[in-house]
Amino acid sequence: MLRFILARLGGTVAVLILVAVMVFALTRLASGDPIAVLLGDQASAEDIAQVRVQYGLDKPLPTQFGYWVKEVLRGNLGQSIFLQRPVTQALAERTEPTFFLALFAVTIAALIGIPCGLVAAVWRGRPVDQIFSAIAMLGASVPSFWMGLILIQIFAVGLGWFPASGYGNPGVSLIERLHHLVLPATVLGVLNSALIIRFTRASILDILGEDYVRTARSKGLAESVVILKHVLGNALVPIVTVVGLTLALMIGGAVVTETVFNLPGVGNLVVRAVLRRDYPVIQGALLVIAGIYVLINLVIDLIYMFVDPRIRV
Amino acid sequence: MSSLFHRKWAKRMIALVLCFGPFVPAPAAAAPSAANLAMIAEPQTLDPMGTTADLVATIMQHVYEPLYTYDAKWNVVPMLADGLPKVSGDGLTHTIALRQGVKFHNGREMVADDVVASLKRWMEVSPRGKAVARDIASVEAKGPYTVELKLKTLYAPLLSQLALPTSMAAILAKESIAPQLKDFIGTGPYKFKERRPDQYTLLTRFDGYVARKEAASGYAGKREALIEELRFVPVPSANTRVEGSLSGQFDFADLLPVESIGRLEKAGASVVPIMTESFGFPYLVFNTREGVLASQAIRLAVQTAFGEGEMMAAAFGDTRFFTVEPNHFPKGTPFFSTAGADKYNQRDAAAAKEAAAKAGYNGQAVRIMASRQYEFHYNMALVMAEQLKRAGIKAELQIVDWATLVQRRNDPKLWDIYVTHSPVFPEPMLSPPQLNEDAPGWWSSPAKQTTLSTLNREMDPAKRAALWGKVQQVIYDEVPYINVGKFNSLSARSQRLQGYVPSAWPFFWNTAVGGK
Repeated sequence: MLRFILARLGGTVAVLILVAVMVFALTRLASGDPIAVLLGDQASAEDIAQVRVQYGLDKPLPTQFGYWVKEVLRGNLGQSIFLQRPVTQALAERTEPTFFLALFAVTIAALIGIPCGLVAAVWRGRPVDQIFSAIAMLGASVPSFWMGLILIQIFAVGLGWFPASGYGNPGVSLIERLHHLVLPATVLGVLNSALIIRFTRASILDILGEDYVRTARSKGLAESVVILKHVLGNALVPIVTVVGLTLALMIGGAVVTETVFNLPGVGNLVVRAVLRRDYPVIQGALLVIAGIYVLINLVIDLIYMFVDPRIRV
Repeated sequence: MSSLFHRKWAKRMIALVLCFGPFVPAPAAAAPSAANLAMIAEPQTLDPMGTTADLVATIMQHVYEPLYTYDAKWNVVPMLADGLPKVSGDGLTHTIALRQGVKFHNGREMVADDVVASLKRWMEVSPRGKAVARDIASVEAKGPYTVELKLKTLYAPLLSQLALPTSMAAILAKESIAPQLKDFIGTGPYKFKERRPDQYTLLTRFDGYVARKEAASGYAGKREALIEELRFVPVPSANTRVEGSLSGQFDFADLLPVESIGRLEKAGASVVPIMTESFGFPYLVFNTREGVLASQAIRLAVQTAFGEGEMMAAAFGDTRFFTVEPNHFPKGTPFFSTAGADKYNQRDAAAAKEAAAKAGYNGQAVRIMASRQYEFHYNMALVMAEQLKRAGIKAELQIVDWATLVQRRNDPKLWDIYVTHSPVFPEPMLSPPQLNEDAPGWWSSPAKQTTLSTLNREMDPAKRAALWGKVQQVIYDEVPYINVGKFNSLSARSQRLQGYVPSAWPFFWNTAVGGK
């Protein structure tokens, strides 16, 4: 058991080192210079070279890498070149909008997807099934930036119900911030509900053919009880899994929505950092996200080890 | 569904929740009179000296002030200085009297020591200041309200350089001066309050502001902070800026795509489109050091092939937004000149082909580097490539992102032409940087040095205007860069934002918001 734990720990450290090397190498292999962006179009090559020295960017890459790793091991992800704050602070500031957006959107996706999928399965082959299936196809095909702009035009510009962009003025309440998230969350929610509709429909159709459903019906239970209790209850486990998958997709795909709605989220931070080559932010953000994934995988593996005795052998 | 699948997704979900779990609830609301101002990006820095970027100037000119500034007609007039400097007979010593009673944001009075320390920092860290520093012998305090600036050689653009908001010769409180500014303490009508990157930069009214007595004119004269809070919101997506203005979310939205003019005009009374005439000029920099365009004769052939009118049309579409004209400075301004006009907008493929052949062109590709960060750069590059092909000159487009372009242009081996743009400045020496030595393109020639040094040493503004014509002629003769034309910018303000004056670096003192 101890050997297993040590092996997993060793593997985790190896993965983290690999991630650090790759993140550093990829950001530096891309051409572009943060200092040229920082100093502006009129700055001379000489000025740029001088400021590069201040930021240590003139040193050979292995030296820069060594310095970065040393600082990371001390828990310091570095200082953003542009944001005048530590990378950890910049990251912490962005988690709130991203977290609420993903949560809000996945709720909308589930609230649309599960009932529609259920109805489509129960009335399989009927017009209602065809309509919902068509909507699901459409949802999967519409680009999020397009839908975002359409919603902004209707609900922000036309009706004035919601703000067009941003995350609220300084000092506004959480409710006001959530108000800013309604349109972006709707875009992400509606588009991602397509997958949940299709998955719910397929799962429920599978279970409708099970023996225990036939038994429930033969006992004379009302159809609503059969569907809601016996069918939906059993279909829920794979559906919850796909809702989780949707959440993952949203966080990966929220970059476009965050850009259209100008939300200061993690995706936006990374994209803007890439555009201005803010090396410390790119490296820090990617390392933290990758590191958290790796560490949580480690924890879960260890938990499985206690739960499932076969792994311990 | 296998248990393995479940396990995998269960792990991922836990990972995600833990990744994005922590958050801080927002504090309670307050309601000062405020304006939301949509800017094109997050400022590169808040150090007013640290960059030549216009965006930083736009924001930080509310916090910091220079000794001199520009009035509505682009004349240099005093701001923190009491009047124009007293210049010695030889033109080398400038004695600057300072205004008395001007307060910094920390309540202390501005004195000559602050000015000297600030100007020294400007000459050390600012890209513009460093260039000017080559001609400055000393800066010294001569009493609490007097500063003496000695030049090594006559340098006519000195006051223009001191007045410019970009890479600003800002006057900082001496105690706040550091290599990396932490406290932003100036004398402006607004003081810095908070910066949340990619969300806003917040400025609040400085109640102790001491305004000038003269009537407001351009950036000059009386400044009054009528709005309590200015929120500069970075909105990089131009579409989002348009929609935000139309929905009333922004009181001002900077630099909108010209295609949106129709929607803004139809939006009714709530949104007012603002056109700033002769806002900027696109220019094409030629690599005079290496590659095919190191030959001046081939550069001339390329100039003959180019039709600047077509380029501007492709770049800006609507004719209300651009002017095709050979003069580098707009009509009605001091440096207007038509010298070299016959070499502008020729679009003569046959003559270009012949000239290229005579110059010994043998089919090398002209590498045109452009970025899509500014869509008009890209559109112009496409037209350029076609015009070159028509003249039998091979063109190769290198489309890169902006961060790559500003790096690669420093290496003469990598490109032949790159596309960029600049605001129209009131003084030739302020832009483009190719008029100085060592800027990308590396233009250096006896004619350049003679005409420019004559221009820079002539202190009489009236005579300088005529001397610029000679420099412009050399530019058309030697083709270190091509000034393609002028473009107007489009911005928008809400109906409730009153008193806004269109300007190259938008400012919001003397503006008020109705309602709230």
